Amino acid sequence: MGEEDRHFSFRGRPVATRDGETLLSALSRDRLPLLHRSIQYHRPQGPFCGIGHCTGCLVRVNGRPNVRACRYQPVPGDAVTTENAWPSTDWDLLATIGFLTPRGVDSLHGLRRPAFATPLFQRMVRRLAGTGKPPTDDAARALAAPALERSVDVMVIGAGDAGRAVTAALARRGVRPLVLERRWRPSPLDGAELLAGTTGVFLPPPTDATDRPFTLLAYREPAQGVRVEARSVVVATGSYDASLLFGGNDRPGVLTAEAALELTVPPRPPPFRRAVVVGGGPRVAEVLGRWAHSVEAVVAPGEIRPDVVREASDRGIPLYPRSLLVRARGRRRVRSVDLRSRGDGARTHLACDAVVLAHRRTPHAQLFFQAGAVMEWRPAIAAYGPRVGDQGTTSVRGLFAVGSVAGVGPEEVAAHGASVADAIVGRAGPAAFPPAPPVDRTPTELLGYYRELLRVRGHGQFVACACVDVLLSEVEKANRAGYRGIEVIKRYTSLGTGICQGRYCLPDALLVLSLLEDRPPQEVGYITQRPPVVPTPLAALAALPLPPTLEAIP
Amino acid sequence: MTFARESYRTVVVGAGIVGLFTAYHLARMGGGPVLVVDRGFLSSGSSGRNGGGVRQQWETRGTVRLAREAVHAYRRFGREFGFNIWFRQTGYLFLAENEAELARLQRVHSLVASEGLPSKVLDPEGVARLVEGIAPGAVVGGTYLRSDGTLYPFPAIWGVYEAARSLGVEVALGVEGLGVEVRQGRVAGLLTSKGPVAAGTVVNAAGGWSGDFSRRAGLDVPNVATRHEILATEATKPFLDPMVVRASDGLYFSQSMRGEIIGGISFPHRPGTARGQGSSPTFLAAMARALVGLLPRLGAVDVLRAWSGFYDDTPDGFPVIGEDPRLPGFVHGNGFGGHGFMLAPATSRRIALTVLGQPTDLDPSQFSPARFLGPSAPATAERLQLG
Repeated sequence: MGEEDRHFSFRGRPVATRDGETLLSALSRDRLPLLHRSIQYHRPQGPFCGIGHCTGCLVRVNGRPNVRACRYQPVPGDAVTTENAWPSTDWDLLATIGFLTPRGVDSLHGLRRPAFATPLFQRMVRRLAGTGKPPTDDAARALAAPALERSVDVMVIGAGDAGRAVTAALARRGVRPLVLERRWRPSPLDGAELLAGTTGVFLPPPTDATDRPFTLLAYREPAQGVRVEARSVVVATGSYDASLLFGGNDRPGVLTAEAALELTVPPRPPPFRRAVVVGGGPRVAEVLGRWAHSVEAVVAPGEIRPDVVREASDRGIPLYPRSLLVRARGRRRVRSVDLRSRGDGARTHLACDAVVLAHRRTPHAQLFFQAGAVMEWRPAIAAYGPRVGDQGTTSVRGLFAVGSVAGVGPEEVAAHGASVADAIVGRAGPAAFPPAPPVDRTPTELLGYYRELLRVRGHGQFVACACVDVLLSEVEKANRAGYRGIEVIKRYTSLGTGICQGRYCLPDALLVLSLLEDRPPQEVGYITQRPPVVPTPLAALAALPLPPTLEAIP
Repeated sequence: MTFARESYRTVVVGAGIVGLFTAYHLARMGGGPVLVVDRGFLSSGSSGRNGGGVRQQWETRGTVRLAREAVHAYRRFGREFGFNIWFRQTGYLFLAENEAELARLQRVHSLVASEGLPSKVLDPEGVARLVEGIAPGAVVGGTYLRSDGTLYPFPAIWGVYEAARSLGVEVALGVEGLGVEVRQGRVAGLLTSKGPVAAGTVVNAAGGWSGDFSRRAGLDVPNVATRHEILATEATKPFLDPMVVRASDGLYFSQSMRGEIIGGISFPHRPGTARGQGSSPTFLAAMARALVGLLPRLGAVDVLRAWSGFYDDTPDGFPVIGEDPRLPGFVHGNGFGGHGFMLAPATSRRIALTVLGQPTDLDPSQFSPARFLGPSAPATAERLQLG
């Protein structure tokens, strides 16, 4: 089949697709498309995360709702449409809900009276609820695939630099691990079985009873369930670029550095010409290294590292260190940002066509939470990660952490991987898991930032949770009503209960609550991480094997 | 000072819906001062972990009547407590896969109908009209009661919590009940993780932890906590109105106001609270298989999260409401077997009456803690412990 023959349809029109690209890449040929509207107020939302967690690129494919375009490889003949907007995502009359209720809808206390009208309110609200229409039977049938089962000695989750280092070290020691990798086309890996397009979604606490104490459930997109039993598990899931609270932070054009990177696979120009890049560390250096000619300015919540300063100055890119990013403006696309200097309060207005978030990275630590590993608060990145001992050990025997999820820097990854491999083959250690170190009392820099941001007028209308459309004012109201702790605030406001399961909102909400409750973030609570790590279709789970008798469930 | 006073007339252990409602009724009946303690945060136990179903279809008349009263109370909830709990009376649909199950459901139907509730027996076509996309041949029939429904549990907790507090009830969170202080053969106070507190009456409304707490008070009780798992999917546009329950395996699910499918399935779990409130791969597979088998289109719906909570089970399936004859001043309000939330408005008022020494209309052979103390097993049982 010739290149020109590979087409799928988008809203009824043919779109060409190249081998190896995602649906989102194919739809972003000239510019980022507007695929989605926020669930309650119907604000335009753009592709934000690029890795299958946010709501910004949800589309309907062949009758299957809520497909994340960034995690779907189009097949010729696919029928792709947008959802939950009328008449279209470009012009959505339902956005009047947002215009009419600029301070949000209070669904906790509202719509209760008069009593005779409640069934009517319920019918109305239910009509507006949900994103996509339910799937068709055909869409569900197309997803039915037999599950994949493996039983191995060692499993490595993640084939980034750290996962590769430990895999190579294991291979040198005669161990051939099974490696799971979320990306579809990772470069080949010698000495291992590599499952691409596969995300580990559930690692329950180990059972001591069996020879292979770990059972991992994974999801191999688009529809396959995977079940792996292993003696040792090495988690090399890495980190992701975090979100940031500011006005318009889910407007199309606001995206993470990671999303920009994913959108340029296979190689192509970035989806912006004049981006404001947020951050002052290594991630910003990486963005400048790739796309300096498309960067308008660098804005940092804190200081900017000297190498970034040099790099930007060489290229004539203006720098705004210690600045509040107050608001991204624009209607269906970011057009400008408002900044406020944290020193003298000076205001700056910058024209731009994108805001690229590269200010901090959060570990993908969900599997450690699920497995019951002891977690610790890492103040520098304002996030929880597993407590890691020598040779990558965690408090769970047989569960190891490598790479950034373990707090190991890129330059140490090779040596660390070798020592973890030694621990696994029993050449040395594994050393006893260390007792609790003294609590890290380093102040979290972002706390000071948010203290100032919460004084900005109109901050209540900032979107605290983009998946479920929760405004910051709702979090403040819950606090004023006397509810304390992230667990309760989450249930009171519904914050963090949408598609991304709080991945992008809860870390920032934790900091805001720390300020509102006047206690350290780690006392505001733990962010519970429930399985599955990524949304997983029931068809994939239904194909997984069951024990012969359900009585045997531990 | 952990507590505002040194002494309370009543201390309630457990700030779930039952404990909070009981404290609320006590305060309204002039039974204060009341203290409620809870080991976790508000909504950390089963009250914050259930599927939100409220039904009146039961196998025994006493339970049907309590449930009917609870439905009326939840209808009024928004006006009385100021929170919208989205109580939606779109029915409970019980499904039978064979004639024996249908006969059992028909017996339930007869009882429910004799109490004046508009229960209906449905043929497979009637079921298919209520469950769009159900697999052909999946059922032989079912029963449906349209005045049953679902609610959103969290605002109900907030509503009762705020109402109780505004009546002067004190709620201490993060305080665990460790046992009772006994003086001259009756309860004199509660021992807590934050120190002792004097009280004339202690109410055990600790849900999944109530068996543990009774035993800490030296009382041998048959309550067993069993872990039950549940999952929620992404939100799609609503297409399913009733709560659907399958008699054979206890599969239950409904579609929430937000459009998520929320449900679970009953299969044996090892009892015990030690394992925590996590999930299991087996549940995910079994639940997914049951859902997709019954409603094939759900195969293309994504699961967002799974969690679990505890049922507080009793041998005969009835709750335990009343003062323990072995320890005056120790009042049970537990053993709800996973149905505490749906019955709470009705049961809690009776627990409060018991605390105040007033008579209730509860049949002691079904509800009293004394029923487990005799030589023979209780005569009747409530076995419709589904959904």
